[in-house]
Amino acid sequence: MKKGIYRTLAWTGIKKNRKLYLPYILTCMGTVMMCYIISFLSTSPTFAKIKGGETAQSFLGMGFGVMVVFSLIFLFYTNSFLLRRRKKEFGLYNILGLGKKHLAKVMLIETFLLVGITLLGGLFFGILFSKLAELLMVKILGGTVTYDFSIGIPSITQTVILFLGIFLLIFLNTLRQIHLTNPIQLLRSEQTGEKPPKANWIVAILGAVILGIAYYLAVTIQDPVTALLTFFLAVVMVVVATYFLFVSGSVTICRILQKNKRYYYKTNHFVSVSSMVYRMKRNGAGLASICILCTMVLVMVSSTVCLYIGAEDSLRNRYPRNINLDVLMNETEFSENTYTEQLKNLTKTVVEENGTEQTGVLEYRTAALGGIIQGNQIQLDPEKYSTTANISDIWQIFIVSISDYNRLMGKEETLSPGEAIIYTTKEVKYEESTIQIGENVALKVVKQADGFVDNSVDSMQIFPTMYLFVPDIETVIQPLKEYTWEGSDESIVSLHWYYGFDLPCEDAMQIDIQNQISQGIDEMKSSMGENAFFHVSLEGVANQRADFYGIYAGLFFLGILLGFVFILAAVLIIYYKQISEGYEDQSRFEIMQKVGMTKKEIKKSINSQILTVFFLPLLTAGVHLAFAFPLIRKLLLLFGLANTPLSITTTVCCYLVFALFYMLVYRATSKSYFSIVSGMRNEE
Amino acid sequence: MSILQVNAVKKIYTTRFGGNQVQALTNVSFEVEEGEYVAIMGESGSGKTTLLNILAALDKPTSGTVRLDEKDLSKIKESDIAAFRRDHLGFVFQEFNLLDTFSLEDNIYLPLVLSGKTPAEMKQKIVPIAEQLGIASLLKKYPYEVSGGQKQRAAVARALITDPRLILADEPTGALDSRSTDELLRLFGKINQNGQTILMVTHSVKAASHASRVLFIKDGEVYHQIYRGASTENEFYQKISDTLTMLATGGEHR
Repeated sequence: MKKGIYRTLAWTGIKKNRKLYLPYILTCMGTVMMCYIISFLSTSPTFAKIKGGETAQSFLGMGFGVMVVFSLIFLFYTNSFLLRRRKKEFGLYNILGLGKKHLAKVMLIETFLLVGITLLGGLFFGILFSKLAELLMVKILGGTVTYDFSIGIPSITQTVILFLGIFLLIFLNTLRQIHLTNPIQLLRSEQTGEKPPKANWIVAILGAVILGIAYYLAVTIQDPVTALLTFFLAVVMVVVATYFLFVSGSVTICRILQKNKRYYYKTNHFVSVSSMVYRMKRNGAGLASICILCTMVLVMVSSTVCLYIGAEDSLRNRYPRNINLDVLMNETEFSENTYTEQLKNLTKTVVEENGTEQTGVLEYRTAALGGIIQGNQIQLDPEKYSTTANISDIWQIFIVSISDYNRLMGKEETLSPGEAIIYTTKEVKYEESTIQIGENVALKVVKQADGFVDNSVDSMQIFPTMYLFVPDIETVIQPLKEYTWEGSDESIVSLHWYYGFDLPCEDAMQIDIQNQISQGIDEMKSSMGENAFFHVSLEGVANQRADFYGIYAGLFFLGILLGFVFILAAVLIIYYKQISEGYEDQSRFEIMQKVGMTKKEIKKSINSQILTVFFLPLLTAGVHLAFAFPLIRKLLLLFGLANTPLSITTTVCCYLVFALFYMLVYRATSKSYFSIVSGMRNEE
Repeated sequence: MSILQVNAVKKIYTTRFGGNQVQALTNVSFEVEEGEYVAIMGESGSGKTTLLNILAALDKPTSGTVRLDEKDLSKIKESDIAAFRRDHLGFVFQEFNLLDTFSLEDNIYLPLVLSGKTPAEMKQKIVPIAEQLGIASLLKKYPYEVSGGQKQRAAVARALITDPRLILADEPTGALDSRSTDELLRLFGKINQNGQTILMVTHSVKAASHASRVLFIKDGEVYHQIYRGASTENEFYQKISDTLTMLATGGEHR
């Protein structure tokens, strides 16, 4: 046999099936492009030099891992779809005398062609857009833009090796498929009679129950980090339930509708309902996949967008003022304040020397301790809490004097000794009317406060914080001195003085001021001598902002990139579903016309079916998202984003944008569906 | 009284990319009387299917008229044509054309449901028909579960259930084995005896021998026709056979 014929067969194979192959090639190119861009950004040296760039790069590195797994699964899936559609062609070749070996050769050449096109195209666009992505990323991080163009050779190698691997696996799968089938089967594989799907009640009910439990878990999980296992369980359950419901639940519902004769035997419902049964059986799994992809995109994009938009909010939570001082001190200093006054004056002088002023001064003293709250008691004895300890019972406790509270919050509360006002963070409530600290201190809770100033310790920890506002700190902590850390005589109660202020000047100057204060503190400490217990931690927003944005922008960018890839995947699945539906409906369409349905009736019926089929995943994804929202919000809270209205708006906007995009995709793909369905008649 | 009048029907197809014209029907005229059982015979490509599509109002003739019950098919509005087809015509196809998503019962109900009948009415109609066609016990089954002959009988039931004026059958025995063929032809005979007008397109001599009249089409024209008269099935079979031989070998005379 002439050598050229394989090439010709391979080439015409692709060309004749361009309705199937073009989207496949485009998607392959898209994934190659994204892989390259993510890999390029995660290794780009120019990018690493920007402040916060390295943090962002570590996230992108993880993103590349996600891309690898995803590309493998996704390309495998789409290719199996292509194979199914082409089996008839293989069968014909086989009957005409091409052996399986020859077919394998044809497929090998086809694979080479595809690999060549997609890698070249994908890398070309990848390199082209990598600069754009870099610029965007630099802009987000707030760095200075450079316009030199570079190509990441290691990234190209990485991407090429990855995709050669994937295509090799796909090719092996193709060989397996060709090997397993005989010509008659190959020819007929598209039209074997289908059993009417049975309603699987058990699975359907199981799906509903599992989904119910998962939703319940999602809504009631208090703290997603400590309840990590429950969190993953809920996610897995939602995935499983989605598959169950799409595959079995839908069929069961159709069956119930069919049982209702008055409903079923109506022109509008008759054809639609009975076809839906088959449609859902065939497409249930695919639609469930679309639904889960959509949910993933929505959760990912909306949470990263929330984080990014809310970054300034979180920053302010984490660093309540532009310059923050947290001083750890001993009891003498706590009551006498000699060094703290000195430190206060130091900051004032430095700020004034720089020609600016302190604004929004935040100052208070507090006694901090950690403990496990059980019932109405804060357990401090380590021996006791090792046995019944539950990680979600751990609290951070700050004891603050009522005068500081009144001053900072502008209130006029008065308390008698033995009374306390409490305030709890992270939406965890303390409901008891009294609180006992350790064995000896008991306080009466007279009121729940509705707020207190932000505290960096609280925003860094995943544990909730309880503020106890008491008339006098010293009397409360006096009996607590007996509790010490295991193996040391250091008290578990630490004494702090918080001091923070804003600066109405540029970031650069703020960093200067911070450095000068830091120097001043060093000098002060050396004058205090070795034994002084006076530890100062100094933090400035300006100094931290870049790193902070590095994390959030990295997540944000990754969310957008992966979101894009997942959407690409969803689009392709939708498109292929439409096409296969089209081929299946073609013959049905003709029969119905012969039996006496008008073209309009048929079109209406089919349209309503297709609409249901394709918008079911979108709606379900919306419901999933709504139930996932409490969880997302709590996760965001851990990142220090407490702005719920902002999160809601962002999430809803993400959903709307996504729905719009989905609709456009549907409109575009349904055109090819209708052209296939009605194509037969026109060509007769 | 004649139910169907076909008058000088001509059909020309133009291939999609212009140019070539194919004349499928040159000049076809005939009439079908009420209660008649007519078979139309012809070789592949003689224009049988085109003719049937025109009779079924699925296609429009290039010229000439088709009248069913004195009504010109080409004058019926496009929006009414599906309803007209549903109420006045019953179809039986070679490939059965049952929807595989429906049980046999629902397949038979399809035209009634489209006409907006209630479930009670439909139930009432299906019972005698299913009884007559011997598929009463199969109604709940799906097409893939039953034999070809049973599928075809279900298709016949679907054609009959609307009490159509005319049944159009396109190679109804084409996909059946000989036993099912005999069975179906017997049923057609019985239905015809009950007064149902049938028009069947076939190239099976056996199928045609059951009809009361056979029309022969060649090159897009009605070339010849023979009546059964008083002859038995076997005699009529012989006659048709002879005619076909003459058509194939004999020549160009009319």
